Amino acid sequence: MKHNQRYGDDIAVNCTQPELVPDSENAVESVPIIVEVRSVDKEYYLGKQSVNALLNISLIIHKGEFMALAGPSGSGKSTLLNLIGCIDTPTSGSILIEGLDISGKTPDELADLRLNTLGFVFQTFNLLPVLSAWENVEYPLLQQRDVDKKTRQDRVRHYLNMVGLEPYAHHRPNELSGGQRQRVAIARALATRPSIILADEPTANLDHKTGEGILRLMKDINQNEGTTFVFSTHDARVMEMAGRVIKLADGQLVV
Amino acid sequence: MLKLAFRNIFRNRLRTALTLAAIITGVVSIIISGGFVEDVFVQLRESTIHSRIGHVQVLRSGYLEYGRRDPARYMITRPKEVVDVVRTIPNVQAIMARVNFSGLANNGRADLPIIGEGIEPDKEAKLGTATTIVAGRSLRIADAFGVVVGEGVAAALDLRPGSFVTLMVNTSEGALNMLEYEVVGVFRTFSKEYDDRAVRISLPAAKELLFTQSVHSAVVLLDDTTVTDTVTAIARSKLEPLGYVVKPWHELADFYQKTEALYRRQFGALQAIILVMLILSVASTINMVVYERTGEFGTLLALGQRRHQIFKLILLENGLLGLLGSVLGVVIGVVLAGIISGIGIAMPPPPGSSSGYTATIVLVPRVLVAAALIGVLAAVMAAVLPARRASRLPVVDALRHNI
Repeated sequence: MKHNQRYGDDIAVNCTQPELVPDSENAVESVPIIVEVRSVDKEYYLGKQSVNALLNISLIIHKGEFMALAGPSGSGKSTLLNLIGCIDTPTSGSILIEGLDISGKTPDELADLRLNTLGFVFQTFNLLPVLSAWENVEYPLLQQRDVDKKTRQDRVRHYLNMVGLEPYAHHRPNELSGGQRQRVAIARALATRPSIILADEPTANLDHKTGEGILRLMKDINQNEGTTFVFSTHDARVMEMAGRVIKLADGQLVV
Repeated sequence: MLKLAFRNIFRNRLRTALTLAAIITGVVSIIISGGFVEDVFVQLRESTIHSRIGHVQVLRSGYLEYGRRDPARYMITRPKEVVDVVRTIPNVQAIMARVNFSGLANNGRADLPIIGEGIEPDKEAKLGTATTIVAGRSLRIADAFGVVVGEGVAAALDLRPGSFVTLMVNTSEGALNMLEYEVVGVFRTFSKEYDDRAVRISLPAAKELLFTQSVHSAVVLLDDTTVTDTVTAIARSKLEPLGYVVKPWHELADFYQKTEALYRRQFGALQAIILVMLILSVASTINMVVYERTGEFGTLLALGQRRHQIFKLILLENGLLGLLGSVLGVVIGVVLAGIISGIGIAMPPPPGSSSGYTATIVLVPRVLVAAALIGVLAAVMAAVLPARRASRLPVVDALRHNI
C-alpha cells in the first residue's frame, strides 16, 4: 500500500543468499526486511497429545524474495506459512511483519494487516463461488475504504489482465478451470498491493503443466512488480524455480 | 455485502429452501391458528349479541341490582324518552323495548317455571340473526295471544305449533294473572340454558299480561360491534342524568367474558408452542447451513475481513431469508385462510349451546404483522449464535473446512 514496488527491487531476487540466522544479514543490508521470525515454537493438541509442529524457528524474509518452504507433509511448512500470514499464533517466540511485532494484536488489527499487507493464495483456491472472477478480485478492495471506485476498477482490470483472464472476468468460479481459478486467486491476492504474498501449496491441486504455468506467472510478477512471494511445496520441480528454498523437517529447519 | 448476501441465499437452493420452509411453516401456522382463534371469539361475540343481549341495553338504574326481587319498581316508565334519545346516536340500527317476566307455564298437565319476554318481533328479527325458528313461524306484533317457546320448553311441555299453553305471572300491582296462548313457533338460540326456560310473546301482549305500560329494558342494535363503546359513552352521557343505566354487551354477558378469558389462555399456550417449534426448526437449519460454510468464512477472514463483518454478513443473509420467508408465509397464509374459510370448518356446538357452527379463518392485520415479525426475528435470532461461532473461529481452523 504505502510502499511502492518498483522494478529496481529485482536485484534482491537475484542475490539469493540462504540466511537462516537473523543476525547474519550484513550481506544484503540495503534490502528491507519484510518478515522476521524469531525463535518461534508452535505446539498444538491432537486430542490430548501435544504435537510440536514447529521448534525454535528463526527466519528472515527480505523484500522481493521468491522463496519456497519445502518439506514433506507434516514438516510444519503450512504451519509456518499460517503464522507468517497472521491466521495462527505461535506458542512462543515472535513474528515481525514490516518491523511490527504481531503478538498481542487484536483480531481486528490482524484482519487489517492481512487486508493491507498480506496476500493469500490457497491450495484449494477458495474463491467466493457466488461472485464472478471480477467480483472476486474486487472483493478485498471493497474492504479497503481508502480505495476509490475508479482506482478499484482500474486495479481489477490491471491484475486480471496480468494473469491473462480479462476475457473471463464475468465467469463464475465453477465455469473456470483449476488453473484459471488459481490465476483469479493470484489476481485477488495482488489487487490490494500487499508487501508479501503467501501461497500454501498453490500447485498441489493442479496438474503439472498448469502448476508450472502458475509458478511462472508468480515468478514473472515477482520479477516485474517486485512482490515478495513465499510459498510452500513438496514438489521438487517447483522448488527448482524458487529463488531460495527453506527446507523443513519435523518442525525444524534443515540446513 | 448486500449483493453477496443475496447471492449466497440463492446459491444453494436446497439449503435456502429448507430454511424458507421452516420459516414459512411457522408464519403460516401463526396466521391460521391466530385467525382461527380470532374467529372463535368473533363468532362467540356475535352469537352472544345477536341471540338476545344486543349491543347496548338501557335499563332503569337499580334494575340489575334489585330488579330480580322487585321487577315492577325498576321499569322504564316512559320508553319513548329513551328511544328518542338513543335514535339520534350514529350507528344505531334499531332500538327495541322488552318486558321481562317470570312465572309458570302450564300445558294442562304439568307446570314449568319459565322466564318470559315481551318483545317487538319485527325489530327483534333484525337483532336475532342467531335465533333460528325450528318449527312453526316467528312471532308477529299482532299476535295478541301467540307465543314462541324455546326448544327446551317445547320438549319439556310437549308443545308444538298449534298447542295451547297457559302463562301464570304476577302483575306489577302484585296480583296473579293467567292467560292462555297458542304456540306459533319454537326457537333455538346460541344458549341452550336460555332455550330451556324461555318463552316470548309480543310486547302489547306482555303489557296486558302484566297490566303495565312500562318496559324493563331498551335493547340497542348497532350496525358495527366495534363502535359499541363509543355509543355506550354517548348514551351514558345523555341517559344517566335521567336515572337510567347503559350497559354494553360485554358487561352483560358474563358467560362470554369467562369463555374468552379461558380460550385466550388455552390458545396462547398453543401459540407459544408453535413459536418455540418455529424458532427451534429455523435455528437448527441455520446452524447447519452456517456450519457447512465455515471454510468460506475462513477465506473471508484470511482475506482481511473483520470478525464483526462476517457476523453481520451472516445476520444479513438470514434477515433477508427471514423477510422473504415471512412475505411468502403471509401470502400463503392469506391464500390458505381464504381457501379454508371458503370451505368452512364444521364446529360442534360450543359449551352451553345447542347448535354447531361453521368456523372460518379471520385475517386480523395485527396477527399478520405479528406473524411476519416473528418470522424475521426468529431467523435473525436463530442466526446469532452460529454467526458468533463462525466469526470467532480461529482462521486456520475455519480454513481447514475447505478441504
